[in-house]
Amino acid sequence: MRIACSFCGERELGEFTYLGDAKPVRPEAGASEDEVFDYVYLRDNVAGATSEYWYHGGGCRAWLKVTRNTLTHEISSIEPAAGAGAAKVGA
Amino acid sequence: MVEFSWVSRSPLEHALVTGTDGARGIEAGISLTEIRNFDLIQVMARRGQAAELGQAAKARFGVAVPDAPKAVRTSDATLIWSGPDQFFVLSKGGKHTMQTLEPALSGSLSDQSHARVLVSISGAKARTMLAKLSSIDLHPDAFPVGAAAATSMDHTSVTLWRGGDRTDGQAVFNVLMFATFAESLWHTMLDSGAEYGVDINHTERLA
Amino acid sequence: MAGAQTHRLGNGGLVDRSAPLNFRFDGKAFSGFQGDTLASALIANGVKLVGRSFKYHRPRGILTAGSEEPNALVELRTGARREPNTKATTAELYDGLEAASQNRWPSLRHDVMSVNQLFAPIFVAGFYYKTFMWPAKFWEAIYEPAIRRAAGLGRAAGIADPDHYDKAWAHCDVLIAGSGPAGLAAALAAGRAGARVILCEEDFVLGGRLLSDGGMIDGEPAAEWISRTLAELAGMPDVRVMTRTTLFGVYDGGTYGAIERVNDHLPSPPEHQVRQRLWRIVAKRCVVAAGAIERPIVFAGNDTPGVMMASAMRTYVARYAATPAKRIALFTNNEDGWRTVETALGAGLQIAAVIDARPEISPAHRSLASKGGFPVLHGSVSGVDGGKDGVRKIAVSLTGGARAEVEADGLAVSGGWNPAVGLTSYHRGRPKWRSDISAFVPDGAPPGMVAAGAANGDFGLGACLSQGFAAGAAAAHDAGRTGNAGSAPVADDEVFSLTPLWHVAGKGKAFVDYQHDVTASDIELAQREGFESVEHLKRYTTLGMATDQGKTSNVAGLAIMAAVSGRSIPETGTTIYRPPYVPVAIGAFAGHHRDGTFHATRLTPSHHWAVEQGAVFVDTGLWKRAQWYPRAGEKDWLESVTREVKAVRSGVGFCDVSTLGKIDVHGPDAGAFLDRVYINTFSNLAVGKARYGLMLREDGIVYDDGTTSRLAEDHYFLTTTTAKAGLVMQHLEFCRQVLFPELDVQLTSVSDQWAQFSIAGPSARELLKQIVDESEDLSNEGFPFMGAREVTLRGGLKARLFRISFSGEMAFEISVPARFGDAMARNLMLAGAPFGVTPYGTEALGVMRVEKGHIAGPELSGTTTAADLGLGKMMSTKKDYIGRVMAGREALVAPDRQVVVGIKPTDETRRLRSGAHIIPKGQTPGPGNDQGYVTSVCFSPTLNQWIGLALVERGRERIGEIVHAHDPLRGEDYDVELCNPVFYDPDGGRQRG
Repeated sequence: MRIACSFCGERELGEFTYLGDAKPVRPEAGASEDEVFDYVYLRDNVAGATSEYWYHGGGCRAWLKVTRNTLTHEISSIEPAAGAGAAKVGA
Repeated sequence: MVEFSWVSRSPLEHALVTGTDGARGIEAGISLTEIRNFDLIQVMARRGQAAELGQAAKARFGVAVPDAPKAVRTSDATLIWSGPDQFFVLSKGGKHTMQTLEPALSGSLSDQSHARVLVSISGAKARTMLAKLSSIDLHPDAFPVGAAAATSMDHTSVTLWRGGDRTDGQAVFNVLMFATFAESLWHTMLDSGAEYGVDINHTERLA
Repeated sequence: MAGAQTHRLGNGGLVDRSAPLNFRFDGKAFSGFQGDTLASALIANGVKLVGRSFKYHRPRGILTAGSEEPNALVELRTGARREPNTKATTAELYDGLEAASQNRWPSLRHDVMSVNQLFAPIFVAGFYYKTFMWPAKFWEAIYEPAIRRAAGLGRAAGIADPDHYDKAWAHCDVLIAGSGPAGLAAALAAGRAGARVILCEEDFVLGGRLLSDGGMIDGEPAAEWISRTLAELAGMPDVRVMTRTTLFGVYDGGTYGAIERVNDHLPSPPEHQVRQRLWRIVAKRCVVAAGAIERPIVFAGNDTPGVMMASAMRTYVARYAATPAKRIALFTNNEDGWRTVETALGAGLQIAAVIDARPEISPAHRSLASKGGFPVLHGSVSGVDGGKDGVRKIAVSLTGGARAEVEADGLAVSGGWNPAVGLTSYHRGRPKWRSDISAFVPDGAPPGMVAAGAANGDFGLGACLSQGFAAGAAAAHDAGRTGNAGSAPVADDEVFSLTPLWHVAGKGKAFVDYQHDVTASDIELAQREGFESVEHLKRYTTLGMATDQGKTSNVAGLAIMAAVSGRSIPETGTTIYRPPYVPVAIGAFAGHHRDGTFHATRLTPSHHWAVEQGAVFVDTGLWKRAQWYPRAGEKDWLESVTREVKAVRSGVGFCDVSTLGKIDVHGPDAGAFLDRVYINTFSNLAVGKARYGLMLREDGIVYDDGTTSRLAEDHYFLTTTTAKAGLVMQHLEFCRQVLFPELDVQLTSVSDQWAQFSIAGPSARELLKQIVDESEDLSNEGFPFMGAREVTLRGGLKARLFRISFSGEMAFEISVPARFGDAMARNLMLAGAPFGVTPYGTEALGVMRVEKGHIAGPELSGTTTAADLGLGKMMSTKKDYIGRVMAGREALVAPDRQVVVGIKPTDETRRLRSGAHIIPKGQTPGPGNDQGYVTSVCFSPTLNQWIGLALVERGRERIGEIVHAHDPLRGEDYDVELCNPVFYDPDGGRQRG
């Protein structure tokens, strides 16, 4: 598998570390235990396109948000994960 | 009172034996040269301040700072991209140190002079040997002079860039590796180059 | 003296008669020529029997001339280099080669285990499942050993492989598998268009079937076209042609695996060279021109030595000038099989008969038969009379029911051709059935891959050339190379005609899978027993599960299944194809990573100094750390470690702690950032001060700990544990980039920049005074506990000094730029000489931290909360931080949680061991009353007894209680007293100095 880092270009899988689902957004301070519980544990088990975090630790140390099809491994988009998990204040 | 001497010792001082390694009786296809005692400062832009840092750096170095995986030579330093909104300043002789750069560049600076070992790789078989260490495409079309990469060798992070060609036209690949991994990676390099014959040197001079 | 090559033609072939090579097979001397494979050399010497079969120990000969070979597997080489299950058909002959047949005893010709054939009724499909069901205890004791002796393949060397392997990366626009007409034409087109091309050919000679079948291309003989093409390719600097290289796998993102047998053709690799190299090839496009595999027809006795694929027979005759038989019969169901007759006649061999299953043959072949004086029998081979010395007579069922017999010493068989659909199917693509050729052809190939020529089901030479050329040109174009490819080479297509025939009914064993001894009746039995799905069929009969992955057997097997289950072949379908296409040595996957270079190693800045001191090292993750420094006369590690601890507690010692992770945290929001990642507050830490910090995971469990110092208003220096250094950096980057992008903070690993030493003991300050500049105030007032600042050393070197203690003594940590780490160790020895300074290793460090009740890795186990560790009070209630909410969950704050407590054996002479379970006194140990376990133990020189830390339910409320330690692993049971985990200086007066 190869991942085209937004900053470095296409690199081999070994330079990256997988974290997991990039959909959950960290609840803002003061959120209830249930909300935080869902953020920490609740995940969709998607057969198809899913977004996930990959860390280019063997390269530029950027966190990336990768949209990948779990059935075909096809990667349809890659972008920097900057702020992707940040609490949406007031949301 | 005891007299203390503060001898700087390269992490490769033990492992690096000047001379020839591997295949003999042929012209060595690989040349490995360690460059010792350099100044290496990592400069990171403050949040949203990449443009300001770029201007300050341009004023200081006279060239635009690389904003993509590239290495840029100035008259007395090499600026190497090391990640988004960050770069290394590699130099010799105390021209660009924490003391001199901190006032000039408005960013977050970390001294990495001792955190890395610098090895330059050249020779007729340099690319062939590097293919065993690096997953990067080093074909001249894909990795020309000035190309750089934050990448890994032997599962270890390195900064790799192509310097100016040797006077005989051979490509030169520079590898900045973590100091504590250096001896291990050095042996891996020797193993990878053994079949082509390796010339081993060290120098104080930055190419 | 090697025997004469009785079965070698006087001329012709691609062998070099001026380069004779001696070799041995089962101890007997033979000779062959450069350019031979082991198989062709054996054939040239008249050897027909080369092995015994897997299950029934049937005598077997050579079936094919390529990597699809199921029968002719040998142990190649001897001693440490002995390699089992090597295909004689692909092993290149070299001078001095030694090979041995497999799976026979005492000899190939007289194999005791061939009595297995008499028990054939119990060796039917699923026999493992049926026969050895019970009693269960017999399995390990009797059945398995017996089966392992009786069934099996070659023996591994049992000694470490002395050779080296390596791995390399390659990149190209167009990757081509195979160098037959389609592959060479593809390379030509792509190369001319300006593409970077890699062509992999598993053979040691380029040309594929052209080497055996010849033909005319662009009006010249194939051999001349090949050399002209290779010369043109050699002139293209970006075209790389790799022989002895098999493309074996296709992975995601255009990554391919290939194995190059760099020096397998030599007795041993030349010095400094590898035996094999594993290639990871990244290609924008891939053209599969891997050709097709001729398929056998299943009939009784079809495994008799001397029965050979028709194409293989003409390969041995034409390419190797070796004659598998003198009087050959051909059994074919298609036009192509007849080419063997033409080749054999051309070489002066006799044709006994052609048995053709088709209703009609061409007038050209009819006239060839009359000219050659051999009969053409319309029908099928129904049996073979012969044995280990080969074929004698062939029984034929003629169309219409009559029977005939043919005397021959060799039988060439052609059941048609199966395109090599492996590579194109490795992404779960299912090949599709093409009824005009009665074969599966590629479908659903991985992105960027296309099959051409025979691999695509188009067998004619003209079609191979034009398809290969077009595929190469298109691949180059898709990769952005738009040069002029010129025109395609041209040749005529051969006539194609085939009448499907898979299985001829008859008496006796008819083999489908030769390597696993699966017969047609096994498949029929599997169907009767309900194993109709091809995936079930495969597992139940082991069809296609041998090292050849059923290259010659799978399609015939499922065709037979289709026939008995009343379905069509496409309805029956194929099993999933998986890499590798050919077996790949584990050594090649390991490459450089074996023995001492199994993984990369990290060395501390004072490593070579510690080696000089005679330190014993321990692997800690990737690090080599000094574990203790033995001195002459010390009888064991405990004595050395005890001395080191006492030296620190009574004087001063030092330890290289550079392995701790070190991170520069910069920026105006650095303090706010640390407040969010630590449970305690750092934004209010004064410049020049250090503070112990604890991080949680978002689920509320403790992640890591360490000391963080504030060196400037906008600069903190954070340390992590050795084990988590990389992970904490990754976690902090995640927090910085993904969770808290609004904070202006920058992170840089400076782990390798600083050599850091702990200097501990009552004399630590006195020692330091020797080494720092006299202007530095190290007094308790000038540099109090938890102070952190830059200091100047004698000689002008700048260092960072921290007054922190892990040992519980008055202690400092001092950091110097790493290249001065070696000098620092030497200077600490010099400066400390008057105080009896003692270097200490990780063991003494560990002893002192247990004495002091400090937590470390065994307590930071991924299950403990801050409160469990006795650090609950550090959890700030005034701010949000990672893990705060989840740490408050009911189960994580339950009063009966297991918490850190000290333990002491009631018998002061007893040794403690970690891992023992804690059980209430007087109860029988069991899961129901397990109250925790011992995490860390040490012999405390200070208390002169073993002590430990444990996680125990409500432990802190039970100080003074006697509990039971139960250690089933070591068979130990003893009582321990729960106590304060801080065994040493509990009020901390010593470290505050």
